[in-house]
Order: sequence, then structure tokens, then C-alpha cells
Amino acid sequence: MAAVSIRNVTKIYGSDTLALDDVSFEVEEGEFVVILGPSGAGKSTLLRVLNGLTPPTEGVVEMGGEPVTGKRDDVAMVFQLHYLVESMSAYRNALTGALGRTGWIRSLLTWYEDEDKRSALDALETVGLLDEAEQRAGSMSGGQKQRVGIARALVQNPTLLLADEPVSSLDPKAARDVMGYMKQAAEERNLTTIASLHQVNIAREFGDRFIGIRDGSVMFDGGPDELTMEMVDELYYGEQVGKGAPGEGAEEAQA
Amino acid sequence: MSAIEETLARIQRHRRQRQALAVLAVAGVLTIFWMGLQYLNFDLWELTDQLPTWYDWLAAFKTPNFQDFSLYSIENGLTGWSGLFDTIWYVITNPLAGFDMVMNSFTEGKETTLLGLSVVTVVIGVCGTILGFPFALLFGVLGSERVTPFPFNFLFRGVMSLIRAIPALVWILIYVPLAGISPVSAVLAVGTDTIGILGRLFTDELEEIEDGPIEAISSTGANRAQTVSFGMLSQVSTSFIAWTLYSLEINVRVAVSLGVVGAGGLGRYIQLKLSLLDYGPAAAGILMVVFIVLTVELTSSRLRARLRPGEEGGSSRSLLDAIRDLGDIRKWLGTKVERN
Repeated sequence: MAAVSIRNVTKIYGSDTLALDDVSFEVEEGEFVVILGPSGAGKSTLLRVLNGLTPPTEGVVEMGGEPVTGKRDDVAMVFQLHYLVESMSAYRNALTGALGRTGWIRSLLTWYEDEDKRSALDALETVGLLDEAEQRAGSMSGGQKQRVGIARALVQNPTLLLADEPVSSLDPKAARDVMGYMKQAAEERNLTTIASLHQVNIAREFGDRFIGIRDGSVMFDGGPDELTMEMVDELYYGEQVGKGAPGEGAEEAQA
Repeated sequence: MSAIEETLARIQRHRRQRQALAVLAVAGVLTIFWMGLQYLNFDLWELTDQLPTWYDWLAAFKTPNFQDFSLYSIENGLTGWSGLFDTIWYVITNPLAGFDMVMNSFTEGKETTLLGLSVVTVVIGVCGTILGFPFALLFGVLGSERVTPFPFNFLFRGVMSLIRAIPALVWILIYVPLAGISPVSAVLAVGTDTIGILGRLFTDELEEIEDGPIEAISSTGANRAQTVSFGMLSQVSTSFIAWTLYSLEINVRVAVSLGVVGAGGLGRYIQLKLSLLDYGPAAAGILMVVFIVLTVELTSSRLRARLRPGEEGGSSRSLLDAIRDLGDIRKWLGTKVERN
């Protein structure tokens, strides 16, 4: 059975903004899938539908055979702008991943289970930040912050890891580092991962499989060998390669 | 021991140290609280002895006496809630005569009716804000280091700090030889207070703006005044309006408290009735205060919410749009429209 299956999903915002148009695909357990596509193509909407934050207008999302109906704590998310609490240490930030299974009184008193504390440190070790565990998140570099964000997601013990343009605001080296740690964590834990990316070269380096989205529809679905430069050009520039102005595809309004 | 266990032990050691400090800090705060109360001769038993008197006063709020609500209620000797409701009923059933009566309550009755006194209080707040605004703008803008080079900006900041150091309740006393304790001195006091508070908010707002647009404007060859006006003030104009509306809310409340020391309006009415132990009318006066302060606050905060960028409309709104939106009842209720 597929770990994630999304069938005929359409999402319409308001009355007439079509963000996703009849999208269907399945993801196997442990697969590292990269979603590619120009801004406004529907990548973010797709991720929001997958973690239950946005209900699809039509169609079904299933995880492990069960339909996804709302927010669930076994789906973890890594955000583009890390969204850490900057005044807290890396360790405390990672621990917030355990909030979903900690009662609110315990969490306000910061009485976490020893198991959760170890899992937070274990996750920080996975992303290579064990020695910086007590450092304030605000004083860390962009790449380090994003790695703490990944650690927080891992502490959630997710069955599915989603990442919405996790390295868009990082320089190429930090971006490679972060993607490397994410890939390694996913492999160690056999974690199904779906990440949206802008940088085609980085995507090609880390993805097992690529799904290209344009104007809300899946245009491409295949492995690294099938992701040719022609394919990428078509994905980002449409049929106007060589004719239209460069970057025209990216100019389309964000939904 | 593994690296994880070592780190966990270290974190927990640090945590215990922080907890010990926190316990000490809480104990310190409680000690200060207790010693402070002793210093102020706080006596719990004295308070409990006074409880029955206090209950009488609170009970007046169940039956507030709106005898002085309007000229109509005074002339007809209406008391209790009837003073309020019968006046409203009279205005509804006799719109023409009712309108005249309300206008007369605002003018002839401005020192005797709750309607007139409310208008006095609101007008003190509004006029004080209008009086203070240009000076707040001048001192606030000149107090910013971006506009006036250090250390000269501190001249203006210093004046504003000095004004803030004196509360409005003391400012009115300073103006007593000029205008007595009257609504006029209240307007002067509110206006002065506004310079200090609103000017400071303007300065802070200017310190936080982005450098990019300023640099871009000055690189076009604009002179200093043009750079200030197009690069800086244009960035903050909507937030200046929003802060001024906020200052208006505060000033209406300040006008009430100035009334308590005798400057007229609702505050003075409440103070007079309380000193006569006439609890019913005093309670009615306080209910009027709640009503006008909430009305001013609701209107101003709705306007300010409309002015803020990124809400509902998606982009920054002009004051004109904001005022137009006030007519739309759905927006008052915050009915959400799903965004695209």
C-alpha cells in the first residue's frame, strides 16, 4: 500500500482561483519526492492539502489507507523561514515537536518525558547540532536554524515529512548541507518525504523522484534520468521557450 | 556515556540552576509586595469592615438613576432606568420635538444633563487631540535621529520627555491661573499631554522605518526636506493616523479623569454625586462613561484595523476607504471572507 495517495484533488480558492487541478499521484514509504514548479503553480497548496491544513475542494488524500481530514501530528512540516522561537535554545525548539503528545499542563511546566528529551537530542545529533543544543536559536546561522527546524519535525515522530521550499532563503552551500541532513534523516528513519524546491540542481542531487507542477496540474512525474533540461525548461517557461520573455512563467500571480 | 546522555545531563544541570534562581526571584518579589503593603499601612480587616458600604455603592449599579439623562427626563421628573428609556421612547415617537430636545440637552443642558456632559467630555478629548497633534508631529519628527542629527534631536526628545513626566492631571493645575479649572484648561492639559505621548510614538515609528527607500529617494538627487517627506514621512503616514486615533481614545479617558478634579463633563458629575453619597446618579454617570469610551474606542479601533496593511483587503487602505468601511456592518462583526 502506498504511504501517501492523492486522488483527483482539485482546490479552488474563493470562487474562481484554481490552485490545484485534478492532481493524482502515490508516494511509496521511504521515498524522497521533490516537487518542482514555478511560483504560483500550486506547490504550497499541494503541501497544505497533504498535511490537512487546507481541505481540498474535490478529491481524496489518504495516508496509510486512511483519509486525511484535518491537521495530524504524524505529519511534520519544515517551513521556508524556519519559524523557530528565536529566544529559545535549539534544544527547547526541537522539544516543541513533542508538544502534540504532551499534556498542556506538563508542557507549560516544561515537564517533558525523558524519552522526548532524548528524542530531541537524538534529532539534534542527526542534524549535526548536538554540541549547539543549548545555543539560542536566534544566534544561529540560517542553515543551522533550518536544521533545528528539521530536528523539531523529527521529534514529532512523523510518518510523513513535508518541506515547503526549505532552502530557498539559504546560500547554495548551506542549502546543500540542509538538504543533505534532511535526506540522511529520512534514510535513517525510512521516512517518506515530500519537499518543494526551486533549485533544480539541488533537487536533482537529492530527490529519488520528481513531480513537476504547472498551473495546478502535474506535468511531470519521474526519476532523475527523465528530468531532462528540456523538461525543466518546459516546466518553468511553458511552451514559450525561446519565444517569450525569460521568467514569464514565474510572473504569474501567487494564489 | 554517550554524547546524548552527556548533553542531557548538562542541560538538566543548567535547568536546575535556573529553577533555583527562579524560586529566589519569586520569593524576592513576594517579599517586596508584602513589605510594600506594610509600608502603605495595608490592613485587610479595615477593608472587610468597609465591605457593607461598598456593597451599597455596587448595588446602585443594579438600579442606576438616569434622572439627569436629558432635559426631558429632568422636566418630567423621570428617575431610574425610566430617565434613559423614556427619553429614547420620546425621541422615537416624537422625532421632531425629540430632536430639538436632544439638541437643547447638548447646548442648554451641557452642564446639567448626562447627554450634554458626555458631549463636553468627548469634545475635550477631541479638541485636545487636535490641539496637540501639530506640535506632536513637529516634535516627533524633529526628535528622530534620522531627521535631526544627534545630539540636536535630543532637544526635542527632551521636551517631550519633560511633558510626559508631568501627568495630564498635573498639567491642568499648571493651567489653572490661565483658565481656571474648566473645560478650557482641560483642553490645554489634554493637548499638552498629547504632545508628549503622541510625539514619542511618532519618533519611535520613524526610527523603525526601512533605510532602503530613504537611500533610494536621496540618490535621485532629492534635497534634505524632500528626502524626509518622500522617503520617511510617506512610509509612516498611515501609522501616524492610526496612532493619532489611538491617542484620541486615551484622551477621552483622560478627559473623564480631568472632570473628576473639576474640569467639567461626566467626571465632575460623578464626583459631585458621589460626594453627596447619591449613588444612583453616580452609577448612571459611570455607565455613560463606559458607553462613550467604548463607542470612541470601537470606532477608532475599527478605523485603525482598516488602515493596517495586509488585513482582509490585502493591501494598505486609505483613511477614506476605512471610513467608508465603517458603514458595512459585516466588517464590524469581523465576518471573514475566504481569501484568494
